[in-house]
Amino acid sequence: MKPICPLLLLIFLSCFPLPDSAMAKTLGAGLSLNQPTSLSEILGNPEPYIGKKIQLQGVIVDVCEKRGCWLYISGDRPFEKIRFKVLDGEIVIPLEARGKPGTVEGVLEKFVLSRDEVIARRRHHAEERGETFDPASVTSGETIYQLRGLGAEIDGI
Amino acid sequence: MPSSNWRHWNLAVHRDLGFLSIGLTLLYALSGIAVNHAADWNPNYRIERVAAQVQPLPPGVVAPAAIGQILNQLGETRSPDNVFQPDPENLWLYLDKRMIRVHLPSGKVEQDVATRRPFWYPLNFLHLNHPKNSWTWIADLYAGALALLALTGLLMLPQRSRQKRSLLLVAAGLLIPLLFLGIYY
Repeated sequence: MKPICPLLLLIFLSCFPLPDSAMAKTLGAGLSLNQPTSLSEILGNPEPYIGKKIQLQGVIVDVCEKRGCWLYISGDRPFEKIRFKVLDGEIVIPLEARGKPGTVEGVLEKFVLSRDEVIARRRHHAEERGETFDPASVTSGETIYQLRGLGAEIDGI
Repeated sequence: MPSSNWRHWNLAVHRDLGFLSIGLTLLYALSGIAVNHAADWNPNYRIERVAAQVQPLPPGVVAPAAIGQILNQLGETRSPDNVFQPDPENLWLYLDKRMIRVHLPSGKVEQDVATRRPFWYPLNFLHLNHPKNSWTWIADLYAGALALLALTGLLMLPQRSRQKRSLLLVAAGLLIPLLFLGIYY
């Protein structure tokens, strides 16, 4: 019996990707900027960044359970996070990304919401998570910032 | 005869495309029903939520030692992969596939473990074109095959006796989307 040609074996083995946990998963357009910006810097003075593409590094702390259409990435200061929202179907963020380090890129957007809009938004989020929501807990409108997601790299998924 | 030759080819295309489309049709049909009802269930993940109780803690930044104590109370000896506090009252811990949410002042804990649905996740993965790349071409070819199936089916309308019934069914199939456009659009 002829021995298997090592080159053929190498080609065969190269057809199988490395286990997912060994790689960073690229989502959407991936990353194009060289330098991340800190979330504290952005939220400290957001106006110059609105409409601009920025890159953030942090931990993926929450993901849309049903459609994978958003994630929250943590900032460099306690209690800070920002939402990274993608178009449904354009990018699908796997739920396994929760708790994993990642880098995201997107365009910073500003939304000035009325109290009713805040209630609608939080009600929707609560429904998505199967939680109860009390509209009385919202006392005023708010301004929020989020990234219109373009691409991401998430480790360990 | 030219006429029977044409019908022969029409039938052959319809039959073979039909066979070829069985797998993809079942995939898109089943996944279509699954994702249509995404408001009522999670078509991709089974999420098990377990409530627990730990000793309450005062709001604020939680020290690593306190995190270890919380995990001990939950019977967990390993360290978390990551930790996050969305606000001073809440602590989120990540351990393997688990996400543990702790409300510090009450000590209430909610743990959830998300596992992919082994049947539905791959179906939805293809249906919603997560792979992109060459799967997009397959999906386009399948859409083209469906259009051809419809057209070759139309050309197979029976002669004489059952023609009226067949035309009525075709008309109903065309009217259903028009009706809903009239109502909702």
